[in-house]
Amino acid sequence: MKAGNRTNISQLQAMAKTIRMDVIRMVARHGQGYIQQGLGAADLFTQLYFQELRFDSDNPNWQDRDRFILSTAHNTAVFYSTLARAGLIDLEMLEDYCLDGSALEINASERLTPLVECTCGSLGQGLSVAAGLAMGAKLQKRNSNIYLMLGDGELEEGQVWEAAMFAATHKLSNLIMIIDLNYMQVEGDARDVAAIDPVDSKLENFGWQTMVIDGHDFDAIFAGFEAAKAETERPSCIIAQTIPGKGVPFLEGQKSHNMVLPSQVAVDALDWLGNRP
Amino acid sequence: MTGSCNDTSKANALHLDDFSVKQKAGQQSVPKYYGEALLAAAIANKSILALTADLTAPTETDLVRDQLPDQFIMAGIAEANMVGVGAGLARAGFIPFVHSFSVFLSRRSFDQIAMQVAYPKTNVKLVGFMPGIDSLLGVSHQAIDDIALMRALPNMTVLEPASPADYEDAVVAALAHDGPVYLRLYRATKQELRPDNDPPLKIGIARNLHEGTDAAIFATGLMVEQALLAAKNLKQQGINAAVIDCASIKPLDINGILKVIKHSKIILTAENHTVLGGLGSAIAEVMAGSNIARPFFRIGVQDCFAEGGSRDFLFKKYGLTADAITAKIKQAITS
Repeated sequence: MKAGNRTNISQLQAMAKTIRMDVIRMVARHGQGYIQQGLGAADLFTQLYFQELRFDSDNPNWQDRDRFILSTAHNTAVFYSTLARAGLIDLEMLEDYCLDGSALEINASERLTPLVECTCGSLGQGLSVAAGLAMGAKLQKRNSNIYLMLGDGELEEGQVWEAAMFAATHKLSNLIMIIDLNYMQVEGDARDVAAIDPVDSKLENFGWQTMVIDGHDFDAIFAGFEAAKAETERPSCIIAQTIPGKGVPFLEGQKSHNMVLPSQVAVDALDWLGNRP
Repeated sequence: MTGSCNDTSKANALHLDDFSVKQKAGQQSVPKYYGEALLAAAIANKSILALTADLTAPTETDLVRDQLPDQFIMAGIAEANMVGVGAGLARAGFIPFVHSFSVFLSRRSFDQIAMQVAYPKTNVKLVGFMPGIDSLLGVSHQAIDDIALMRALPNMTVLEPASPADYEDAVVAALAHDGPVYLRLYRATKQELRPDNDPPLKIGIARNLHEGTDAAIFATGLMVEQALLAAKNLKQQGINAAVIDCASIKPLDINGILKVIKHSKIILTAENHTVLGGLGSAIAEVMAGSNIARPFFRIGVQDCFAEGGSRDFLFKKYGLTADAITAKIKQAITS
């Protein structure tokens, strides 16, 4: 996919719905998994892979590709579904999600290189690697942008702030971080665990361009990426407010890191998504 | 790096203190053996980048900073991030040499090294100075467990040259190896010359520096000099001890080592590191794995933390000396 014309919003919405249905099917087979954050991030992933990222599905190693790093490497149902729908892996592979021996592990790993640009999952590391890639692209005078998605809980890792300072010091304006802000972590509401707010002014003070957007509004996500790419001095952070379980009314807002998904709930969710506009 | 990445004029305006080696008044200046080797490599290969975490002169990267500013990156006091950035640069096609003191590089960044360097085999060279207990700065600065940590990581090559005279070979060997390497180095305090007849340092090769079959001393880093002194002392007392420089701690030269062990009555290892998990453990694994039993002794830090002090004081106090090696071998032979 090459950047260029704006993708029709209704097409993006339809793709996001398809991805949400994949997420439910993939997790339903196991009865439990990363469903809430998958549904929550589906619009961001859709915008990334069907509008924003420059890649060549026939040549995934294309040197000038944009890179995407999923620092919250466990949010894989939505990630793998998006890769499949974008033609980067076979759709049939989704059937093997999290089965023994499958490369589609619950935590995205190097086994899917180069689609997985680095192995994260040990939280806090993604931004540093992204900063190295961004610096490398600048040194090589490549036009690649480096995109990275973090969860908000990950902001509790000190390394994120080391990397944030480094990226600002070195003016890595080709670095675009998306924070999937749903205030959800294993132990509950992230704000009860650590004083992560206000994320925007924290990063602003670290020398970043920041913007807070509705992570389910394709116009707003698009505008966020455009503003990030227009910035020439600072790295950018798009703080995308998302709702866990988005798209399925009876799942929306339920905060559970690794939620149980009874089969009837999955059937109802698929039914709702499949039959509603 | 210039322009958008690093303002070297600012960096040069700072007073950068080379505090890890104090030159005595009137002393002839000591070459920066590692720094010069890295500089030469970086001149020849523009993909080489030197990263350091606020320890430029103490890691001898000031030479690259001053002469090749575009190939120098100041990462700040943030080792975990520096390792991640190095991995990102490696993925972009560069060959990052990532520098700090051994203790910070290994302990503070272990998870980052495991996940971003060792597992994906990124072409990152990790260079740690101030090895073992060789530090005035005390326990916080003493890397007594870095060999154990690095050795335990799959895909990691671990090199600890015996002498700064070997550093050029170490840099060449690290560069020739496409993948992660951990270099454990100390700063030279005097002019160093490599004996002409010693073979060059190579990955996976142990060097026999002294012949003998009464005992074999497997040593690494600063302990090689002590081992050679011990062998000299022992020889005067009619005991012939072999000395083997195990600069390549991982991979070990298993065949070469076994050959020596089979012909030796007593085996002793010597390392500036805890005796748990380092060279001594590695040699013990080779012996046990090959079903060879010999009287076996490990000279090294005996599962304790040390304290700040001069090398001479600390090595004596913690038993890392030629005398300690000599005494142990004599005791074993007479018992």
